[in-house]
Amino acid sequence: MTNVAVAAGSSTTVQPALQARAVTKRFPGVVANDAVNFDLARGEVHTLLGENGAGKSTLASVLCGLYRPEEGQVFRNGTEIRLNSPRDGLAHGIAMVHQHFRLVDRFTVAENVVLGHKSLSFVLATNDIEEKVAAITQEFGLPLDPRAVVGELSAGERQRVEIVKALYQGAEVLLLDEPTALLAPPEVEKLFSTVRAMTHTGKSVVFVSHKLGEVVDISDRITVMRGGRVTGSVRRGEADVRKLAELMVGREINIVPRRAKSPTSDVLLSVSQVHLERDGVEILSDINLDVRAGEIVGVAGVAGNGQRDLAEVVAGLQTPQQGNVTVCGTPTARSGALGARRAGLAYVPEDRLGTGLAPSMSIVDNMVLTRERGFLVDRKSALAESEQFIKQLEIKTPGPLTPTRKLSGGNSQKVLLARELFAVSGARVLVVCSPTRGLDVGAVEAVHALLDEARDAGKAILMISEDLDEVMTLADRVMVLYRGHITLEQSGNDADLDRVGRAMAGIA
Amino acid sequence: MNSNIWLLTFADAISIATTLILASLGAILTERSGVINLGVEGMLLMGAVTGFLVADSSGNLWLALFVAVLVGVVLSSVHAALTVGLRANQIVSGLAMVIFATGLSQFIGKPIEGDPLPVLIRPIDFGALSDIPFFGPVVFGHDLFTYLTWALVAAASFYMHRTRPGLLLRATGDAPATVDAQGGSVARIRWAHTVVGGALMTFAGAWYMFARSAAWNQSATTNGIGWIALALVVFASWRPLRAIGGAVLFGFSLQVPFTLQAEQIRILPPTIVAMFPYLITLAVLVVLSTPRARRLLGAPKMLGQPFVRDER
Amino acid sequence: MIILGRRIRMEQRLSTPRSLLFLVPVFSVFFALVVGGVFLAATGHSPIGTYLDLIDNGYTSFYGITDTLGLATPLICTGLAAAFAFRMNLYSIGQEGQMYLGMIGGAWAGIAIADSFPQVIAVPVVLLVGAATGAAWIALPAFLRARLGTSEIVSTLLLNYVALNLLNYLIFGSTGFFRDPTTSFPQGRLVADSARLSPISFFTDKVTNTYPTFFIAVILAVVLFWLMRVSNYGYETAVYADSPNTARYAGMNSAWLQSSVLLISGALAGVGGAMYVVGPAGKVDPGLLQVGLGYAGIVVAALARYNFIAVIVAAVLFAGLRTGGNALQISNDPVPIAIAVVLQGAVLLFALGGELFRRNKITITRVQVATT
Repeated sequence: MTNVAVAAGSSTTVQPALQARAVTKRFPGVVANDAVNFDLARGEVHTLLGENGAGKSTLASVLCGLYRPEEGQVFRNGTEIRLNSPRDGLAHGIAMVHQHFRLVDRFTVAENVVLGHKSLSFVLATNDIEEKVAAITQEFGLPLDPRAVVGELSAGERQRVEIVKALYQGAEVLLLDEPTALLAPPEVEKLFSTVRAMTHTGKSVVFVSHKLGEVVDISDRITVMRGGRVTGSVRRGEADVRKLAELMVGREINIVPRRAKSPTSDVLLSVSQVHLERDGVEILSDINLDVRAGEIVGVAGVAGNGQRDLAEVVAGLQTPQQGNVTVCGTPTARSGALGARRAGLAYVPEDRLGTGLAPSMSIVDNMVLTRERGFLVDRKSALAESEQFIKQLEIKTPGPLTPTRKLSGGNSQKVLLARELFAVSGARVLVVCSPTRGLDVGAVEAVHALLDEARDAGKAILMISEDLDEVMTLADRVMVLYRGHITLEQSGNDADLDRVGRAMAGIA
Repeated sequence: MNSNIWLLTFADAISIATTLILASLGAILTERSGVINLGVEGMLLMGAVTGFLVADSSGNLWLALFVAVLVGVVLSSVHAALTVGLRANQIVSGLAMVIFATGLSQFIGKPIEGDPLPVLIRPIDFGALSDIPFFGPVVFGHDLFTYLTWALVAAASFYMHRTRPGLLLRATGDAPATVDAQGGSVARIRWAHTVVGGALMTFAGAWYMFARSAAWNQSATTNGIGWIALALVVFASWRPLRAIGGAVLFGFSLQVPFTLQAEQIRILPPTIVAMFPYLITLAVLVVLSTPRARRLLGAPKMLGQPFVRDER
Repeated sequence: MIILGRRIRMEQRLSTPRSLLFLVPVFSVFFALVVGGVFLAATGHSPIGTYLDLIDNGYTSFYGITDTLGLATPLICTGLAAAFAFRMNLYSIGQEGQMYLGMIGGAWAGIAIADSFPQVIAVPVVLLVGAATGAAWIALPAFLRARLGTSEIVSTLLLNYVALNLLNYLIFGSTGFFRDPTTSFPQGRLVADSARLSPISFFTDKVTNTYPTFFIAVILAVVLFWLMRVSNYGYETAVYADSPNTARYAGMNSAWLQSSVLLISGALAGVGGAMYVVGPAGKVDPGLLQVGLGYAGIVVAALARYNFIAVIVAAVLFAGLRTGGNALQISNDPVPIAIAVVLQGAVLLFALGGELFRRNKITITRVQVATT
């Protein structure tokens, strides 16, 4: 493990613009940052790379003053600083641009930029503000009209407003949290050129990201984090995608695959030439895939590449502008969720409590959510089923009448799967998204076993997951979803991790 | 047909509009911070009755107005405590306030029912100016407070759109999380504007009592003006200046039945004509509900939602 | 917030102690009585004496009970109407107007078609027509909400005033169908005898104000309660009220759910108005305007926390306050009836505040004042 640590006052004469030394940050139940060292040179683009939960956002929050670390120190230009709030960070010229923008849609660009500004006069000098904003946008190549209403701007433009906000307040160090998460490809390019413009004028940028492929080009250095610790750091040119992936994931990816036991047969789910557009932006392009009975097709990809939309189109919750979805021989693309279900499809969404389950209602009540109900709801048989599943799947709950929001993540997922896999009779196609997100090891095992069983029982399963491990373990065929396109298709046994990883990163 | 009477009706409409403007200005300020206070109708009544009682016992108009304002502060503080402090459902709280305040005003107004007004607010005598054809009665026929109200609206508009605290106010209604993230106090802004709003509402009721009523009598005093004021807020797209036009329009529609009756014009029965203000308001609301209109002119985004900060 | 070195914070409870479910309403009433008592004392009345009189006239004397049950009849309906809508976060406050329209519609049926039917048919017909008219009155706001997203709060409210004027018009402003042709005094035309029910005498020879419609209202509440528990419709509305995303996922039709809930709410309020025709009034009666039963229904619903069975209890409670208050007006120590309205509002306000205690708890911890 390489730890790049630059001690304050070392032999180099130029102090790093920002530095963290032995920073430890704890939250109830988890150590988010464990004795982390990190430094940012002036004029550098330094990426913090890691999966969700690796601790990179936490570190960035410490560096800008949003969090206070339990241990460790932060240095600015070689001098130790204590940050109690983001305002303190701003006072030192450090600003963070969050993933979820904090903007007021109704306001103009200029009004948003100055909203929190301390030294604003009582009466707004609108013209002066607009001029100053215009100057900044010019200088850094961030085309924006100060009078434009933010609500009408695109995601990329709104991000620019956030960046201008930071620059207006005099930020010299900018921390960008998952900046490309909400951007379309051309906007990503624009962002990168903006970042280069900023660094040319001496500003320093920290990119916090999990999008391996994107950051390779823009970064002068990449520091990888996993489980709260720094696992490695490379400079531009030394970057090797496979090595970085390993540093992110933490081990040689050693997979014990589970594969279909019997040869697969009929095509139960067919998706052809599906195009999905929203607000003029293309979300899914020319999606084609088939899933046969008794197989699991895994769709891998980094978050934000269209996974949820793909699942919803297949499940009938969204209607594509073009293309067809056929479930067990019945076209369902335009039949809505009920039509897809009646044709034999079951859907386990990624958002368990907010979408898949009604949180305040009991397990019994949730059990009948996705089945055909008559005029009266048959709770008696649902009660019997619930009790059976609770025993069979070892769901930890006070009882079948417990509201689902009181269940842990793993247990609520078991309820969801039990319902969609077994309780919904006649469902032969299963669409499941990120089935083990946020679950502990034991629950992950249980869920994988359930999916395996379902496959053996002859169901056709489309599994869309951001967890590459999971896909490689379970899928009979592997596909990669990148920016709304299927960019790779391989048989599970032949799947080459390197190729898959590169496809996920958008690298040819 | 006597055209002069219509002119006087118009002048009357402007006068009535004062109540509407004050009440809806109070509601605008409150709602811009994200709090919806449905209690306007009750506040108007409480302002009227307390104003009457204080004037009756003291003979002092200014004291009466002052106490009315105080009552508004107290009542709206209760609403603020429930909705901002305890995060209760704002709609139910406002309705409870209407019921409570309506009942209370009836209760304490019982002894003075039917009594003549102890003091009056009279229009300022501008002498010859008010004889100017057309403009005379319309511009120069009003009392001090009506003119102050116009000034207040202008001041409120300036406050909201051209000052820093006004910027914060508007941000609080749309994106309290943003205001909070930048160190502003959402609760404090909401409290302040709810209380000021309440003060304006009771003042509006007191003014109506002294300027336009003959005596204290609950159903005749306001007759739903409070609710029209709430609709006026939507009509004005939550902008003070626009409230004036709507208020005059509604004031006109409220005044027309009386004029028709005085002139013995019976095109439509008076009760039918009395429906007009409400139907017009409804029509306006519908027109303003189209998606485009709503997006740009629309309500503060987080109106009615209690603000809960994600604890980190 | 920090006061005197102690941090006072409100945190969500993990579970609600059962005792609170009773304590909160009880304390709300208690504190409301205290507040009311203050106003009573301030105006020279004896609080205890007044309250005792109130209880006697409202709840414990024979005429008190029967008057109360009679007034509770339409109040249960408007309470159900409000509860039905509010539980879906649809804040229709048009129960007042829908009730008037129900009265008008019921009276129309009672005049125009009831005399060709025997009572056992005529009464249900009148009630149904009343329900339909009530629903018709909320149809426009429901449509506006579904299509344009117009707030149902203001639209239903405005229609209350239109309905009020319509009612005035029909009796005071015209001499048409709804007016009593036998006299020039402005009052409503009586409906056919078959459309009316006689008051219940409770095995005495006294004429009371309680009509069989009271039991119809109670049965309605119970049936509605049961139906919403076991039916698919009740299930779907519960899911939607809990999590609209989940409803979408399950393929439920949100627009239909919202619109139908509003229409049913209107129908319930309309039935209340029709019950007034079948019961005490027998005609279109502008006297109904004075009582404010529509708005009272909202208070009842909120106090009952939108539970239909609790609505019955709350309605009887509030009706008792009103009838007791009524009697107080003409007693030896006259107290304005408005005290009843004050108490209503106060109970609701305290209940609102108390509701927060049910969901959250206050924790008080000592804090060191930070020295850095």
